[in-house]
Amino acid sequence: MIAPRTIRSLKRGLNRNVLAKVGIVVVVVVLLVAVFAPLVAPHKPSTQNLENARSPPLGFTKATTEEVPVQDNGSVVFEDGQIVTENRTVYENATMDHPLGTDGNGRDILSRLIYGARVSLLVGFLGTGLAMLVGVAVGLVAGFYRGKVDDVLMRSADVMLAFPSIVLAIALIGVLGDALEQSIPDPFVQSGLAEAFRSAVGLPTGMPESTVVPGTIIIVVALVNWVWFARVARGEALSLREQSYVKAARALGASDGTILLRHVLPNAITPILVLGTIQIAAIILLESALSFLGFSSANVSWGFDIALGRQYQSTAWWIAAMPGLAIVITVVGLNLVGDWLRDALDPGIEGEGGV
Amino acid sequence: MSLARFLTKRLLQGGFVVWGVVTVVFGLRVIAPGDPANVLLPPDVGPEVRQQVIADLGLDQPLHVQYWEFVSGIPTGDLGTSLTTGTLVSHRVARSVPATLELAVAATMVAVVIAIPLGVVSATNRHEAPDYGATLFSLVGISTPNFWLGVMLIIILSVQLNLFPTSQRAIGIPAIFDLLVSAKFATAADGFTTWLWYITLPAITLGTYFTALITRLTRSGMLDELGKTYVRASRAKGLPESLVRYKHVLRNTLIPVITVVGLQLGTLIGGAVITEFVFDWPGLGQVLINSINARDWPMVQGSLIVISVGFVVVNIVVDTLYTYVNPRVGFD
Repeated sequence: MIAPRTIRSLKRGLNRNVLAKVGIVVVVVVLLVAVFAPLVAPHKPSTQNLENARSPPLGFTKATTEEVPVQDNGSVVFEDGQIVTENRTVYENATMDHPLGTDGNGRDILSRLIYGARVSLLVGFLGTGLAMLVGVAVGLVAGFYRGKVDDVLMRSADVMLAFPSIVLAIALIGVLGDALEQSIPDPFVQSGLAEAFRSAVGLPTGMPESTVVPGTIIIVVALVNWVWFARVARGEALSLREQSYVKAARALGASDGTILLRHVLPNAITPILVLGTIQIAAIILLESALSFLGFSSANVSWGFDIALGRQYQSTAWWIAAMPGLAIVITVVGLNLVGDWLRDALDPGIEGEGGV
Repeated sequence: MSLARFLTKRLLQGGFVVWGVVTVVFGLRVIAPGDPANVLLPPDVGPEVRQQVIADLGLDQPLHVQYWEFVSGIPTGDLGTSLTTGTLVSHRVARSVPATLELAVAATMVAVVIAIPLGVVSATNRHEAPDYGATLFSLVGISTPNFWLGVMLIIILSVQLNLFPTSQRAIGIPAIFDLLVSAKFATAADGFTTWLWYITLPAITLGTYFTALITRLTRSGMLDELGKTYVRASRAKGLPESLVRYKHVLRNTLIPVITVVGLQLGTLIGGAVITEFVFDWPGLGQVLINSINARDWPMVQGSLIVISVGFVVVNIVVDTLYTYVNPRVGFD
């Protein structure tokens, strides 16, 4: 399916391009962290500790001004029947226990980022996969049959594209609600592997039994983004249907389905996969925006945590800053991989980018 | 093809898309769960009252009648009445459009003013410090979610350094405009600084993605053009380098830049929705988000239609302009 020539040009691109290597490393690390979240997260992402709320990240000190009673030999001083107070600045240092600090409820930010990676990547990969499935099917059929089918499918694509993606996504969520939420049991926790591993290395146990998957968001991002795949697949099908090997297959009596799946699809796969890489980044950004706006029901999510952090914008900047950095790093990684694939394979595609 | 025929064809296509948008928007309300009467009524009313309200809303009619009512109202500007406030949707939407346009135009200006020089500097100093800086900026810029950028700008510049406001602008664009055109200079200057004070952070928030994107496109486009033979020919016949770069190369570079910017207008409008949410900016995005949360469907439909139709219109304008400025593309 992938020609040796393609692999050679990918390798050549990789050797010349340090950034592509950085991108691959970032994506692989985020992926591993997301998959093995119950093993590597230092705390349970939902454990609250109000005693230790808004603890700063390593390298920073939190200064809070408190109004405390003035004391004179251990007793409170009164003046005109009022307790005399003074402002005192209290400094709090970061602890190794919470390297990225804690949020407004004392939950460990690093652990929340690690679990947030699961949601972002699940939505990114499943959403892109679904969009690819629908878009490629529609696009191949439209380009292969042309005529009326093509007109109808492509005009509906035009209508879809008349809505900015986030706007269409918000409207669709308004229709679908959160009816499609799923809790998937966590295999590491269910099998007891997480407990065993964590107690062996001395981490607190009792990780979440399941991950909430925002099904509505996955469906919605796929519905919003399938059009880009349809356009690329249609373009490929339009040119491939004229190729002599397709004509030969038809002359041999191959059915349309066989021709599409055996001859057209494999030859159209390169631009589709390149677009897929770019779309994962775009969909992760879209998901984070939707959960920032409060439209996702995932209980841990980078976008949602940024929204939570806004409440502490004047006292604890890191609560909003850290999840955003996680998004930027992940999306930069995916974009670097996408650039590498695009430069190496040059499929000549375009697509809607970020949020 | 002549300009007139091109425009007719493009407008017909646009009209079709608008009809599709209106139909989709109608369909969304129909398949949305929940009874609009529930938004209007307390839960304990009797069935007669409920029936009456449903009849008043026209929801007891067959679907095709409702659809016709909905579609035929739109050309006259009738977008229905809000379920929550009882105001005309068209009024509410019309009041919000200027703020969104203002934000979008400001962001585009920020993007163009920063990005094109940056892209040129980057391309003409290839593999030097400015080029690496610009490339890094554009990579991070297209990967940063704008809502997070907005929150961080507020935290750093408004909360910590106290340079900009953290909350909504009390004064709308028409009032600011009045201040600007009023005879008193002091007031006009005040008006302008107030305007600048409030719009700077939202414009940067919305504009950064575009700045990054246009920088990237300008750089790669310029590098492509600089390698072409006409550049060597111009240099060989002794044209000054500045003339070669800025008159010939930059001009040819801008054509694909305009195309992509046109394609990305949807992202700009979508980004405006989120930016408005972050900065409490009184535009269309706010109307859309609030009405979705309140299940105020007429308002949702109205803002969706205005956003999408605006998008279609801008696309036609960009297409036409593009065809007009680029002699290599015919009107077909």
